[in-house]
Amino acid sequence: MITAQGLTKRYGDTTAVDAIDFTVEPGTVTGFLGPNGAGKSTTMRMVMGLDHPSAGSVTVNGTAYGDLPAPLHQVGALLEARAIHGGRTARSHLLWLAKSNGIPVRRVDEVLELVGLTGVANKRVRGFSLGMGQRLGIAAALLGDPGVLLFDEPVNGLDPEGIVWVRTLMRRLAAEGRTVFVSSHLMAEMALTADHLLVIGRGRILADTDMADFIGRNSASRVRVRSPQASELARRLVMRGWEVERTDGVLTVIGATAAQVGDVAGADGLFLHELRSLDASLEDAFIRLTADSVEYHAASASTAPPDISARTAAPSHAVELSGQNVNEITAGA
Amino acid sequence: MTTAILTHSPAIKRPQRLGFGNALSAEWIKLRTVRSTAWTLASLVLVSIGLTALMGWLAAAELATGEAGEPVGAFVTWGLMFGQIAAFVLGVLVASSEYASGMIRATLAATPRRWQVLGAKSVVLAGVLFVIGVVTSFGSYMASNYFLDRQGIGLALGDDGVLRALFGGGLYLAVLALFGLGLGLLMRHTAGAVAVGLALLFVVGNLVQLVPGALGEWLTKMMPGNAGSTIANVESYNPMLLDPWVGFAVFCGETLLLLAVAGWLFARRDA
Repeated sequence: MITAQGLTKRYGDTTAVDAIDFTVEPGTVTGFLGPNGAGKSTTMRMVMGLDHPSAGSVTVNGTAYGDLPAPLHQVGALLEARAIHGGRTARSHLLWLAKSNGIPVRRVDEVLELVGLTGVANKRVRGFSLGMGQRLGIAAALLGDPGVLLFDEPVNGLDPEGIVWVRTLMRRLAAEGRTVFVSSHLMAEMALTADHLLVIGRGRILADTDMADFIGRNSASRVRVRSPQASELARRLVMRGWEVERTDGVLTVIGATAAQVGDVAGADGLFLHELRSLDASLEDAFIRLTADSVEYHAASASTAPPDISARTAAPSHAVELSGQNVNEITAGA
Repeated sequence: MTTAILTHSPAIKRPQRLGFGNALSAEWIKLRTVRSTAWTLASLVLVSIGLTALMGWLAAAELATGEAGEPVGAFVTWGLMFGQIAAFVLGVLVASSEYASGMIRATLAATPRRWQVLGAKSVVLAGVLFVIGVVTSFGSYMASNYFLDRQGIGLALGDDGVLRALFGGGLYLAVLALFGLGLGLLMRHTAGAVAVGLALLFVVGNLVQLVPGALGEWLTKMMPGNAGSTIANVESYNPMLLDPWVGFAVFCGETLLLLAVAGWLFARRDA
């Protein structure tokens, strides 16, 4: 279990991680999703005690990393694939790590076998492909048989077979009751791997949600419709139970198909100037979510901060916007 | 490849708490499992002994006439002047290469107590360089003495200052490597630390002699390279320098100060 409370990291005037709270539970794969520069790696480095928080705290199983009696037995991490001296062999790299934490030498060969590097154990790491480097990093993470695992962008540079392998491995580690915390900037990858989702943008937690919920909420089909009678059309769509977002004369109807929207308009003789269905991709949902946060972040200086710690804060933010529109429309009806 | 068993391995027992021995053994493996260590140390030994032999061969006849005005004792470990650069560079690399490769993060994840990391690196480095320094000094002595003996001006091991200089070579290189470690940890950049260190130890140390008066004299005595190296020579070319043990104590103090500052920053900085 990893627990962060008010965790903050500032570099001069910039705040990389802004007073975030979260808990990563054992037995699940928790995806840590955010665009590049959102604060994922900084957060992970603070979990590992490598970077010192400017404020707040983060603990692993209730203990600050630096106070763990034998850290590699409790926490394994793949922080950067190439955090390895190129002139050393794969086996030597694992050997010094093992010695540093009193791990028996036979475990080195065990993890090499596990990640499929036995054949190149005595080769210098300099000659390794990016994928082999990732495998070696994963071997190092598993060395102490830890209950908590952190993976920073583990599928970077892996071929399709390697990606499936990492995905399967993480699922198995979680199934064994371990805490698995994995960062990525790829929503699609997270959707396949994670049970729980922590979305970060501009150093703030935008969503802390069950993956199934997130998919259910965001994979609904969406239709973009433009009409000179937008208000009238919106009212009728809302009456039929669909959520409608409105920007000027353009409506976005959530959960409906283009045919359904066209039928509603046709039944009442409303004109349509545009009608098309939008791809319901999680990637889009993620981009919308983080884009919202960027705008909101910039504007929030003058207004009261939103309650971002609430579960599914940001998706409901979008829903609320449409809800306001709906109220406005229904009030006018 | 995914068939191996993941489930909690009964073979692994978690130690109560890691000790200094764990960090020490990890640092020892790190040092000996990169080729650059072997190359650096081999070059140190060979260049030092080789140059000492060459100088002995070239200078022995003139020294025997007594007209050279140079002390014979300054020649038996002469090549260490060049070999010492390798010791210093190795010290820098022990810290800076971890930053260059990003491996410092793996090191600190495994051993979060940063003073312990610095302590382990220091002990391993100093131990290795002491042994290498003593071996090199004895080798140099034997090589040059071969030529000096043929001119009848050889030095016996029992002669004044000889054994002190030969073991002193080990002490000097050990502390010099620690000086490099401190600078490498402070600057976290190989080229920068090597440039600053070489300038400080071997260039500025000579230049300050040009400062006039007592200040110049004092600065010359106190510069780390000047203060430290006298212990590795039977006799010094420069009679102005501090006595061997006094100079070595000054050099140790300076190195300790550098390590303390570097360690203090190391403990506070983000890795």
